[in-house]
Amino acid sequence: MNNHAILINKLTKIYPPNHKAIDELELSVNNSEVMALLGPNGAGKTTTIRVLSTLSGFDSGQVMIAGLDVDIAPDKVRQTIGVVAQQTGIDFFLTGRENMLLQGHLYHMQKNDIHNRIHELAEYFELTGHLDNVVSTYSGGMRRKLDIATALMHRPNILFLDEPTLGLDIRSRKMLWKHIEELNSNFGLTILLTTHYLEEADSLSDRVAIINAGKIRIIGTPDELKNSIQGDSIVISFEKADSGEQSFCYLAKQQAYIKDVVWEGNNLHLYVADGAECVPKLMMLASQNHVEVKSLALSRPSLDDVFLKYTGSSMQGPQQETTDEWWKQWAGKGGSKWQDKWKSGDGKDNSGENTSGESWQQQWPSDEGAQQHTNDSSSPSDPQNQAQQENAWPDKDRWGNKS
Amino acid sequence: MIADTWHLFNKYMRITIRMPLWSLFTLIQPLIWLLIFAQLFKNFVQLPGTDGNNYIDFMMPGILIMTVLFGSSWSGVSLLREITSGTVDKMLVAPVSRVAIVLSRVLHSAVQVIAQAVIILIIAWIFGATITMNIAYLLLSMVIIFLLGVAFASLSNGFAITLQREEPLVMIGNLMTLPLMFLSSAFVPKTFMPDWIQVIALINPISYAVEAIRTVLIDVPDMAVFMKGLIILLIFSGTALAWAVTAFNSLRD
Repeated sequence: MNNHAILINKLTKIYPPNHKAIDELELSVNNSEVMALLGPNGAGKTTTIRVLSTLSGFDSGQVMIAGLDVDIAPDKVRQTIGVVAQQTGIDFFLTGRENMLLQGHLYHMQKNDIHNRIHELAEYFELTGHLDNVVSTYSGGMRRKLDIATALMHRPNILFLDEPTLGLDIRSRKMLWKHIEELNSNFGLTILLTTHYLEEADSLSDRVAIINAGKIRIIGTPDELKNSIQGDSIVISFEKADSGEQSFCYLAKQQAYIKDVVWEGNNLHLYVADGAECVPKLMMLASQNHVEVKSLALSRPSLDDVFLKYTGSSMQGPQQETTDEWWKQWAGKGGSKWQDKWKSGDGKDNSGENTSGESWQQQWPSDEGAQQHTNDSSSPSDPQNQAQQENAWPDKDRWGNKS
Repeated sequence: MIADTWHLFNKYMRITIRMPLWSLFTLIQPLIWLLIFAQLFKNFVQLPGTDGNNYIDFMMPGILIMTVLFGSSWSGVSLLREITSGTVDKMLVAPVSRVAIVLSRVLHSAVQVIAQAVIILIIAWIFGATITMNIAYLLLSMVIIFLLGVAFASLSNGFAITLQREEPLVMIGNLMTLPLMFLSSAFVPKTFMPDWIQVIALINPISYAVEAIRTVLIDVPDMAVFMKGLIILLIFSGTALAWAVTAFNSLRD
């Protein structure tokens, strides 16, 4: 018996002319496991989901879903998976019931079975009272629930969730988390979800895979990942990051008690064995070098630090999103609107409703916690920060690994 | 595939019936033309070369064709909307026949167009057009309208997929409809046209559709003319549909 629900072997996908969206990606998801794909915009999360759900082709490698090769038996794969894409695929002009009915028909289910299943799922997702209303009257949270319900109509074993809680308020998010957790624990559903929210990955998933530039950087349980950064994390915020600060960083790197340093905008992340002991030393070092420290925070490493380490950009800082002018999209050969959208890896929806830029904004308020004040100095207009973000590839130089 | 097509067709019909005003909007333009043209060219029939009847009789089939073109040429716009909203992806991750997705859209558009044509027909009759009361002939004219609807809805969907943007699609939609109408025998008899337009009218499938409808609806029915129109339209709509399906299948990136 095959105990891998998903098995990806050296998957490569190149968008013409030569953008490697997925680069020899290796990943395996066990049966009844919740796996979160965590990564910045354009990391290849959505592209991966699209390939796994048979929507996109790929250039090389092998993808097995429930023991079936997606290239050889796409229709069989489609029967075993449920997909909830970033854009709700439900039809706004139909009622909830009609949407589910159509979905049942499209999966060639028996009529009786469809009706039982609609009843069952509506109860489960607390949609019963709204089933016969047109979807355009639904709230965002209800639409998302209906979207997931339709994806579950045919009782798939594997569920793909692409940014399931994007754009939802905190209450709806928590509700949805509960549902996702229960789907996994009560029905043994294998779930692969992509997310921007560290909190979501942390609380929902059995294992987290951090993806960047089309490769899996690290994979493990949330605790394993956090433990991979030993000791404490210190974040020093500066007003600016000029030569004085740079040389301070250089000096800090020389200190025996500092294990790692990472710049992120005007924030300097330092990883040390014992934080409390190091803070006075660092403050001393700063005043000796006449560097003005705006604020300093000491915390246990969070997933954010892990993310920072493996992607070179922090989830806490706003990311720069470049949306192509319409004529650029148009200029590309052969209908590039779709391609561009897919290329970006994270639906840059032309309707503007779902742009990643917006979603970033939406997630800040809910990301409470130790590092909140590190946000202060990094605004999207900050040129230094933007420069950092643009270079957000994990190259060894910036990461300054002390060996 | 047939079941898939049926269920998807059902969905589109349901949406259309839920918003009947929507499909009435596309009727406004043919109606205006019907009323203005009928008045404007009233005396046109006194020129030699026409049969001396009502002009409304002559242009009635042209207006029907116009209704078809206006009604079906926007089918691609809603396909683009479905692509952007993710509905198409949702169909594609299901084990649905790919052909069914295009086919259901095209059929829906053609059926919608028939309903619109019937309304126009009734209005023209009220305004004094002499239309055959023979049910069989009426049905035959609807066959032509259906095929023409299939053809133009297919073209519109095919262009939507290849162009991927609404603006050029709307432009092409206009380009397909208006010039083709006037470069056919929809509004003036062939004998009135300059030579070069006659040549275009000769290869323009719309001419044959108009003549096939005209012969069964207004004139003394000539089955040879009708069959010629029918065969040409079968080929035309079949080719257009095949093209749209191929375009849709090559969509996978």
